[in-house]
Amino acid sequence: MSWAGPDEVFLSTSLASYLDKKLLVLLRDGRKLMGLLRSFDQFANVVLEGACERVIVGDLYSDIPLGLYIIRGENVVLIGELDLEKDELPPHMTRVSVEEIKGAQKAEREATDLKGSMRKRMEFLDYD
Amino acid sequence: MGLSFYIYERSKLGGVIGGGLQLFFSYFKDLVGREVTVELKNDLAIRGTLHSVDQYLNIKLENTRVVDQDKYPHMLSVRNCFIRGSVVRYVQLPPEAVDIELLHDATRREARGG
Repeated sequence: MSWAGPDEVFLSTSLASYLDKKLLVLLRDGRKLMGLLRSFDQFANVVLEGACERVIVGDLYSDIPLGLYIIRGENVVLIGELDLEKDELPPHMTRVSVEEIKGAQKAEREATDLKGSMRKRMEFLDYD
Repeated sequence: MGLSFYIYERSKLGGVIGGGLQLFFSYFKDLVGREVTVELKNDLAIRGTLHSVDQYLNIKLENTRVVDQDKYPHMLSVRNCFIRGSVVRYVQLPPEAVDIELLHDATRREARGG
């Protein structure tokens, strides 16, 4: 393989143009990771430096610091370049602590579990 | 260039380049610069200008906006993105960009072995 020139890097589909930029990586399980892209390959395996997970529950959000992450390509859905000029999130959203977001996440999960089990119990009613 | 060029290349080289069906890769390469909507397997739909495609049908979009913005607030500040080919469900194209005749013809050639 030959090295692509600077123009080719920006014209190609490779992730080279995203190197050393702050990115949002969407994973197949719905998680959102943010960090600096330091390395990648043809499978979209990526190395994120200073990675953190952004957890959003309703109008609350928090960034949980993770450190250096190597993400296996098969789990990657989308890699987005973050526009540093723009606000990352709509203004009505508030940042909370890691503990708070974990609590909110747990409450949300329990609520959906309950909804699922209620549905199951009411299945004989055959509603839509 | 693009599909017609590809057909020419195939006939010239006797039909075996890399051993795979590269038809849709060539087809998408022709659509670079067009406005497309990419719907992913997780139901996220993104509209943007097609910047480039590769052999895995990975897609790069520019000036992106998410169709259902309120549901995906974290996508607000994403202007350019790379989408892994394996997670794409549909690519919605502008109708005038689709030449069925050309595709049909290319498919027949492919079936005949170049």
